[in-house]
Amino acid sequence: MHISQLEKILDDDGIVFLTYGGLLSQKLLVTMTESLEHESEINKLGMEVTTNLLTVFIELTQNMMNYSKAVTLQDIVFDPKGLIIVGHEQNKSNFYVFSKNTVSSKDKEKITHNIEQIEHLDKNELRKFYREQRRKGSEKHSKGAGLGFTEIARSCNKIHYNFSKIVGSDNFHFTFKAVLEIQEK
Amino acid sequence: MDNFIAEGTQHTPNISMNASTGVISMSGQSYPENTFEFYQPVMAWLLDFFASTPQTDIEVNMEIIYFNSGSSKFFFDFFDIFDAEKNNYKITINWIYNPENTRALEAGEDFIEDFVNLSINLVTTK
Repeated sequence: MHISQLEKILDDDGIVFLTYGGLLSQKLLVTMTESLEHESEINKLGMEVTTNLLTVFIELTQNMMNYSKAVTLQDIVFDPKGLIIVGHEQNKSNFYVFSKNTVSSKDKEKITHNIEQIEHLDKNELRKFYREQRRKGSEKHSKGAGLGFTEIARSCNKIHYNFSKIVGSDNFHFTFKAVLEIQEK
Repeated sequence: MDNFIAEGTQHTPNISMNASTGVISMSGQSYPENTFEFYQPVMAWLLDFFASTPQTDIEVNMEIIYFNSGSSKFFFDFFDIFDAEKNNYKITINWIYNPENTRALEAGEDFIEDFVNLSINLVTTK
């Protein structure tokens, strides 16, 4: 076991916590959310930053959970493992939320479309877009990936994302990172 | 008809809906895994309430600290039901929020704009 190497990586990247594995449960999400709330209190982040951080974290994680469930229902066979990292960039006073999971090429198109629609909108435009999408929405509240990315964009300062093709399959690794600039009180 | 009571958890709000007083309250956090499934009984109760209750005063108190996008969609559909009944009942909605919670304030403002015919008040705590 390379614990000291792992510790160094965690410290260097200011990782607050991470989760990696198969089915991500709501119970785990709730526990991680509480841990984030606690972290916010210790660092005196204030309500606005805390709400933004929780929003990004919960939306991203639940997006991943919903996706993994949808894929399982369709009997699509690929590795359902997902990675979520919440970290603090020590030098720059930024928080970041990073996720990585596997998606099909069809879903890569959908996700790309959702993100491209919103990544260049300013906060006011995002708010307006959010309201329009919500008004148009379908019956099922549980699906909401489009609305979810908009919420994330409203709550952070920068979004980075990437798809890399998995050799020998039609699937892609999808990585997403939301950066929140904070001013500690 | 029976009242509806649900005790809140870390990820779902306290919900209390009283058929005789016409007071409906929700408070806490809302980020259930499946909002459609979680709020389905709430919708069913509300529709049943309107179908079986003659004209009365209705007071809705919403004090939601954080809600996910699925919940946001639910609240929209929830207010939509009140909007459909606005001519049959005297409905007052209070959107209660902590003044430091900008997102909660914005959410309240957005609902006011989306439902111009409903009486929605922004009420601060503290």
